Amino acid sequence: MSRSLPETRDYSVLAIAVNAVIAIAVTAVVVWWASGFAYNAEALFRVGPTVEGGGIGADWRAGNTIPALDFLIAFVHAADVLMGIFILVMVFVHWGAFRRLASRMRQPGEPARYDSDADAVADGGRPSDGANVAGGANASADNTARDPGGDDR
Amino acid sequence: MTNLDHGKFTRMTTTFHTLLALDVFILFFSGYGLMFNDELWWLVTLMGGSTGVTAVHRIAGLGLVVLIVFWMLMMITTSTGRGNFRQILIGPDDVAAAIQDFKFVLGMADERHPNARQFAGYKSDEVPLLSYIGKGVVYIFSIELTLLTISGLLIWSKTGVMQYFATKTAAMAFVVFHGLLGVIMLMGVMFHIFEHGFHPAFYPVEVKAFIPRKLIPEEHADTDHDSTGISQLSLAPSWGWATNVMGVLTVIGIVSVLVGSIFDEGYPVPRELAVGGGPTDLLLTVGINVGILVLFIGMALQMYGNLMRVRWQRQLEEEARAPAATDGGRPNDD
Repeated sequence: MSRSLPETRDYSVLAIAVNAVIAIAVTAVVVWWASGFAYNAEALFRVGPTVEGGGIGADWRAGNTIPALDFLIAFVHAADVLMGIFILVMVFVHWGAFRRLASRMRQPGEPARYDSDADAVADGGRPSDGANVAGGANASADNTARDPGGDDR
Repeated sequence: MTNLDHGKFTRMTTTFHTLLALDVFILFFSGYGLMFNDELWWLVTLMGGSTGVTAVHRIAGLGLVVLIVFWMLMMITTSTGRGNFRQILIGPDDVAAAIQDFKFVLGMADERHPNARQFAGYKSDEVPLLSYIGKGVVYIFSIELTLLTISGLLIWSKTGVMQYFATKTAAMAFVVFHGLLGVIMLMGVMFHIFEHGFHPAFYPVEVKAFIPRKLIPEEHADTDHDSTGISQLSLAPSWGWATNVMGVLTVIGIVSVLVGSIFDEGYPVPRELAVGGGPTDLLLTVGINVGILVLFIGMALQMYGNLMRVRWQRQLEEEARAPAATDGGRPNDD
């Protein structure tokens, strides 16, 4: 499916410019609406929880009394927990996968496995020293048993 | 082979990613400075107290609206955008990729599924535009950002909320809803930072999202090998401990904001009556601050990715200039 990427050319500068201008204009209108089409909106309520003895909600004593909003909040609480657990699982899966992938890479200090790999030599590898025996063994094992129990490393 | 490997995104997409990331980080710092103001009092102070922090949050919110509207227009009005949109539709392959990732970790599969691959020795056409995680990120963040923007604007527009519910309680409920909703995104961003910063082949940051495709060659000279090539990449000496530390921080951060969101019952007033006096649990305070630390690391990595792009561009320019500048030097004679 990824054989032919659709992104064969960049976005045109014209499209970027026009859409950026429209986006800014739309935002200006939206904010103006949010401010109640007023020039000075500071007279409206403001959420200021850390203001001493002030701010919206400081006099709120009754709790949520609107069933629909109460449900929404309960719903998002549940979503938080479910998504949180899912994301944690994903963290652990990727952590594990990364460790397996890392075990296949050349370990720090391990010499290059291919003499032609000029990039690898540049980072401190010494392809022509006596340690080539171990490197050679790894290279031959690479295609057959590619993950020799390196997970627990 | 370099760990830059292949680009996938255009310059517009990479620039957009950077702007969106910065904007969302600022929204997190200001928004959660408010929601977890017991634990993150220093963030509120740093941003100029309650007045400053709400102003920062609103300005960054405006930036987000601009970015969202711009992105939607680009996806609709350009053929490249429409093509990319088709690429992120989720298919059965993505479910298979998720299952195979579990198997890979457990040693029951030798390779990650093509739809799970990031670069790491793979050729360009072996790697999808977005992995299944990448698609999930796009979906979850898009839905989240849309809901957060709508609820955020309703909170901003007190008259808008009043129109529908006509009480201050309704306005408060919207604030709670907005804050709790953002927690999902907060946790997702922490994972996103871990996933793209700590892949062994890309550590300390995967530059796919920072270096546009046209600056990265599609082919390498040494692509004739049979394997994926990952065995040719060398592991950074610091990868092991850095990844373990970051993994632990990420898990602590996610768990803490999750617990904090339940404990706090949202900001700033719980459903039951306990105004102001949120939990001042030391463990939770430390944990939530760890979560913020993860975000700071993410922001640093994000800047580092852009630094990599600048350096890469400079190197390309120097290479392009070299044949003309030297008289008789043959740069390609090796």
